[in-house]
Amino acid sequence: MGKEQEFSANKQEWENAVKKTVQRYPERQKVFETSSGIPIDLLYAPKHPQEEYQETQGFPGQYPYTRGIQPTMYRSKYWTMRQYAGFGSARETNQRFRYLLEQGQTGLSVAFDLPTQIGYDSDDSMADGEVGKVGVAIDSLHDMETLFDSIPLEKVSTSMTINAPASILLCMYIAVGEKQGVEPARLTGTIQNDILKEYIARGTYIFPPKPSMRLITDIFAYCQEELPRFNTISISGYHIREAGSTAVQEIAFTLANGIAYVDAALASGLDIDQFAPRLAFFFNAHNQFFEEVAKFRAARRIWSKIMKDRFHAKEPKSWKLRFHTQTGGSTLTAQQANNNIVRVALQALSAVLGGTQSLHTNSRDEALSLPTEESARIALRTQQIIANESGAADTIDPLGGSYYVESLTDEIASRAWKYIEKIDGLGGAVQAVEAGYMQREIRQAAYETQMKIESGEEIVIGLNKFVEEEQQLPDLLKVDEELEANQRKAVQQVRIERDATEADRCLNKLEAAAADPGINLMPYILQAVKAYCTIGEICNTLRKEFGEYNGI
Amino acid sequence: MKQIRVLIGKVGLDGHDRGALIIARALRDHGMEVIYTGLRQSPEQIAQAAVQEDVDVVGLSSLSGSHRSLFPKVVEALRSRNAADIPVIGGGVIPVEDIPYLEKKGIKKIFTSGATTDALASYIKRLVSSESISPKKIAHIGIAVRAINESLPFYQDVLGLTVEKVEKVDSEQIKVAFLKIGETRLELLEPLNEKSSIHRFLDKKGEGVHHLAFEVDDLEERLSEYRRQGIRLLNETPVAGADNSQIAFLHPANASRVLIELCQHQGKEGE
Repeated sequence: MGKEQEFSANKQEWENAVKKTVQRYPERQKVFETSSGIPIDLLYAPKHPQEEYQETQGFPGQYPYTRGIQPTMYRSKYWTMRQYAGFGSARETNQRFRYLLEQGQTGLSVAFDLPTQIGYDSDDSMADGEVGKVGVAIDSLHDMETLFDSIPLEKVSTSMTINAPASILLCMYIAVGEKQGVEPARLTGTIQNDILKEYIARGTYIFPPKPSMRLITDIFAYCQEELPRFNTISISGYHIREAGSTAVQEIAFTLANGIAYVDAALASGLDIDQFAPRLAFFFNAHNQFFEEVAKFRAARRIWSKIMKDRFHAKEPKSWKLRFHTQTGGSTLTAQQANNNIVRVALQALSAVLGGTQSLHTNSRDEALSLPTEESARIALRTQQIIANESGAADTIDPLGGSYYVESLTDEIASRAWKYIEKIDGLGGAVQAVEAGYMQREIRQAAYETQMKIESGEEIVIGLNKFVEEEQQLPDLLKVDEELEANQRKAVQQVRIERDATEADRCLNKLEAAAADPGINLMPYILQAVKAYCTIGEICNTLRKEFGEYNGI
Repeated sequence: MKQIRVLIGKVGLDGHDRGALIIARALRDHGMEVIYTGLRQSPEQIAQAAVQEDVDVVGLSSLSGSHRSLFPKVVEALRSRNAADIPVIGGGVIPVEDIPYLEKKGIKKIFTSGATTDALASYIKRLVSSESISPKKIAHIGIAVRAINESLPFYQDVLGLTVEKVEKVDSEQIKVAFLKIGETRLELLEPLNEKSSIHRFLDKKGEGVHHLAFEVDDLEERLSEYRRQGIRLLNETPVAGADNSQIAFLHPANASRVLIELCQHQGKEGE
C-alpha cells in the first residue's frame, strides 16, 4: 500500500473510531467554536499524507499514539480531576474527600502517612512523630472503613499512593467494597505499586527487590481474575523528576522500569495482553512548557513501540500509555507562595496539551506545609478553568504539527531510547537500580540544577529574582498533635476487640505461603485484612520471610 | 586548619533526600568532610553516628512534618551521650512559625526552602570556628579602686589572696594589681591621673566592679567577626594591656551594660 492509501485508510479508520466513540461518549457540546464564531474541528492534521506522519504521530487513538490514546480525547470527556489528599485520621480525610467530591472532583486519590507506606503500625516506635503527617494513618481495616464511610465505591474511582504494602491496602479496599455490597469486579481505581522508583527516588521501600517484584506480579495475576477494572500499577516518573532528573531521564527511567515489570509478569507466566492494558503511568508536569508537552507525547510513542515491537503485544489496548499527571511539587517556592498558583496553571496546561488522562494540581502552599482547604480548592479550580474556559480541550493535540514541539518530541524520544538501551545493557532496570545507576544520574542532574539556581543562570521568581521582603501566608494546615496518641490507642483497641485466634491463624498461614514463591499471596493477605490484622503485623510477617532493603 | 566534619542525617521515615544529597555534595565542594546517614535514621542512630564520627556539626533534613518531634530528640540524644557541644542545624519543609520552638529546643539554626548552599557552608564555617575560639575562661575581673594600697589589705589579709604583680599600663593611664584566685584573677585598677577612664568611672559610680575580661585565642579575628555581626567595639584594633597581653574593649550596650574586655596573652597559647 502506498503512503497515500495508507494515510487515507488510517484517517478513515480514525473517523470510524470517532463515530463509534461518540455513540458511547457524546461530544461535550453540540458546537465547538471560538469567540469569533470560527468552528473548531475535532482534529487538525496534514491535508495530504506526509512521509513521517503515520510513523511518528498517527491519528488519535492509533499507533504510535503520539497525538493521544483516544479517538476523541477531551471533546467527549475531560481528563479526570483527581486531587491527592489525606492527612491526620481516617475521619478527617473522609470529610476532605466528601468535600472534594461535592466541589466537583471526579476521582479520589489517597495520600497515606509514612508509617502506613513503610508498613509500621501507628504505635510502633519507628512511627514516632510521623503519624498522620503526610497522609492519612491506616492501621487496619477499621480505619479503611472510616476512610470510605458514605462514599459509594461503585461510583468513585480511587487512586492510592501506596507501594511496598500495596497488596495490603488493595485488600482492605476490596474488603470495604464487600461490606458496602460492591463486588470486586466493579471496583475501579489505581494502586501506585511501583517499587523500583522507591529504590531510585522516593524511599518508601520495605523488602528487597526480588520479593517486592513477586508481590507486584501476585497483584497483577490476582486482579486479572478478580478486579479486571483496576489499574494494578502506576509506573511513576513523578518522583524521579522530583528527585531532580531531567525530562528525558524522567520518561526514560520510568519506561525502563515499565519494561522490568512486564518482564517480571511474563516470567511469572502471565499473558501480555491480559495484564498490559491495566498498566498505568504517572508523570510530572514541570516548568518548561513546550518540553513537557513534547515529553508526554514522546512517552506514548516510545511505550507503544516497546509493547508492540519488543513484547509483541497483539491488542492495541496493550500499546496505549495511559497516564496521570501531577504538577511539579519541587518547582513551588516558599517565597511569594501565591505565585505558585500561576506555576501550577502553566504546568497543568502542559499536561492537558500533552493528553493526560487524569491530573492533580498542586496547592500554592505545598512548599510550606500540607495544603489548607482553601488552597486545595484553588488548585482544583485551576484545572476547572483550563477545562471550561481556555478552550485548550476543544481540539485534539493542539500543538501537534508545531515545528518546535514535533522536533522536541523526536529529540526527547531519541535521547530516552539511548538511556533505555544503556539500562538494557546493564541487565535491565532492577540491576541498574541495584548498581545505583539511575540514582547517580539523577543526583548529578539535581546538583547541576541547584548550582544554576544559585548562580542565577536559572531564574526562579521570588527566590533569586524579583525577591521581596517576605510575607507569610496567614493560614497553614496543622495536623493535630494529639492525633498520634489517639491513633495509637485506636490500633491497640482493634487488637483487643478482634478474634485473636483468627488473626494469628491468618498470619501463620500468610507466613507459610510467603515461603513458597509459587503461591499467590493476595488471598492470604485478604483473609488477614478481614481478620483485622494490622499493616504492621502483616508487613512484619513478610519481613521475617523476605528480609528488609537497606538503601545505600 | 582542620577539615570540618559534618553529619547530614535524615530523621524519621521521610524518603525525600534530594536536598540532603545536594547539601552533602555542596559541603564537600566547600572542602568539608561529609557523612550522609541515608534514610530512616532514628535520633539515637544519628547521635551515635555523630559521636563515633567525631563531627563538628549535625545537619538534619525533614520534609514530612516530623521535625517538631524528631529534631529535638536528636539534641537530647547528643546530650545524653555527653555530646551537647555538637551543634545541630536543620532544614527541609519547615514552617517559619516552628523555628522559635526548634531553637528553644536547642537547634542552632533552621534553613528553610530557598537557602543557598553557599550560605549554608559559610554558616557552618562560622559556627565551627566560633565554637573553637569562643572565650575560654574569665581572665580576670577588673575592680576600680581609688588607691590600690588602701584596698589591698582586705583582699590580701582578710581573704588571703596573694598579689602576683603590680604594674603600670600606659595605654590606659592606670596602675594595676593582680591577685590570683583559682584559675582566674582579680585586677585592682587605680587611675594614674584625671585622663584615665578609671578616674571618670570612680567619679560617676564610685568604687566597684568595672569589667570582665575574657581570654580569647585570636583577638584580631574575634574583633573582625564581632564587627561583622554589628557589635559595637571600643577598640577597633588590639592595644597593649597589662601582663604582656593584647586587649580590646567591647561596648557595654551589647552586653547588658557590662563592660567586657577581650584579652590575649602572648606566648601562652595552648595553656
